[in-house]
Amino acid sequence: MAQGFSPAYEVLPGRATVGVAAVALFLAVWELAPRLGIVDPFFTSLPSRVLLAGVEVASAGTLAHDAAVSLTEFVTGFALALAVAVPLGLLLGAFPILRDLIDPPVMALYATPQLALLPIFVLWLGIGMGSKIAVVFLGAAIPIVVNTMAGVRQVDRALVLAARSFCATRRDVFVRVILPASLPAVMIGIRLGVSRAILGVVVAEMYVSQDGIGNQIMRLGSAFRVDRLLVYVLLVSAFGLAMTTLVRKMEERVA
Amino acid sequence: MRARSVMLGALSFAVILAVWELVSRAGWISPFFISRPTMIAAALGQAARSGDLAHSVWVSLREFGVGFGAAVVVGLVLGVAAGWFPIVEYAIDPFIWFVYSAPLVAFYPLFVLWLGLGPGTVIAISFLLSVTPIAVNTLTGIRNVSPTLRLAARSFGARPHDVLWKVALPASVPMIAAGLRLGIGRALTGVVIAELFVPSGGLGSSIAYNGGLLRTTEMLASLMVIVVLGVLCTQALSAVESHVDSWRTGPGL
Repeated sequence: MAQGFSPAYEVLPGRATVGVAAVALFLAVWELAPRLGIVDPFFTSLPSRVLLAGVEVASAGTLAHDAAVSLTEFVTGFALALAVAVPLGLLLGAFPILRDLIDPPVMALYATPQLALLPIFVLWLGIGMGSKIAVVFLGAAIPIVVNTMAGVRQVDRALVLAARSFCATRRDVFVRVILPASLPAVMIGIRLGVSRAILGVVVAEMYVSQDGIGNQIMRLGSAFRVDRLLVYVLLVSAFGLAMTTLVRKMEERVA
Repeated sequence: MRARSVMLGALSFAVILAVWELVSRAGWISPFFISRPTMIAAALGQAARSGDLAHSVWVSLREFGVGFGAAVVVGLVLGVAAGWFPIVEYAIDPFIWFVYSAPLVAFYPLFVLWLGLGPGTVIAISFLLSVTPIAVNTLTGIRNVSPTLRLAARSFGARPHDVLWKVALPASVPMIAAGLRLGIGRALTGVVIAELFVPSGGLGSSIAYNGGLLRTTEMLASLMVIVVLGVLCTQALSAVESHVDSWRTGPGL
């Protein structure tokens, strides 16, 4: 791929080796700098302390409860978003009049950070799960609608005309041509939606809540327990990475 | 066709505002929850006259400008370096993935420790949120430049840095523009989210402050300003994009 202009390409070490080495170097500097007194560990903590804090958090027993609350909010909001956004995106893609009417407000919401609506949702739905589910729903639904709509519009007209020439009904065209052809775009929307939904859960719980992962992060942050805070942050990151990888795998299936 | 779209779009906003005003005036939903467009307009007018509006817009835009500006510079440099030298890509890959998937807002207590309870923290979160898509897209753009173009340039005696500046970078404009588009959205999100937590005097802080006092009208007024800013940013980028990419004649590579 890159041969011809990068002569040293062949002898370079591999991706995994360099990646592991870079992370190891980062961890070593992070561990050693506070130990040598270059930075105050109060500000940065140390990898070894984060590891210990991880064991503490795992054995404390509150993690399961908080994770269950956050996961419930995520799953409920995301399921609602899928149920509403995919059909809406298909409708908007298929009917130009509907699109002209509904596209401008949707686009305005798409260009806006939807999390700015969080204080309004708290006012409407309270500090419990309702406001978090609403934030997840909106954060996931908007990119799914926009991408589904774009997917339907990008379906090759030749395919549609070919199907019509072979006497396919409008319903056949929709189910057998338009749906499968727009599926990759729907998946892109879902992937964007997943990361926005996860951020939404955490931010909403940090803003105001009684339990959940974001609530713990807020408490630990206010108490400046950097080591435990990082444990929760790493957990959410791992969850985000796992979900994105899952959706990518599904994308490869449908593409 | 175009005129019809614009008309229907305007009609759609008009209907939303009219229904909102009606529902609120008729008392079907208490104005305490949804306020109403005329009250929001009045609040905006008052904020504009007193200078509060200009101040909070200025604070937020400055944070956005510094955070996004730094993200563009760092993202482009990292992206070009990683696209040109595979070893750089391998080394930064794990960190990019972490920053991409971590809930960065969770770091705000740390940023407050390091940078204080003010614009510095907001800028840091905005920067971190927007730098990753810019770096990743630049990297992908440079990496995927057609080998034929590179070889052709080399055959005509171009040196490696000529290939970078005159072939690889111009050919990556669409990818880089897509990264900037994602980055702008995320930078704006970063500013607003961070301001919900950090009282910086910007628009997000105004939403959080008025939300705490249950002043729905003022809260929605700030939200409207954020919506307008978001739409303007996106439009501005489309204009820049078509200008920078105007040399491209065919339907893409």
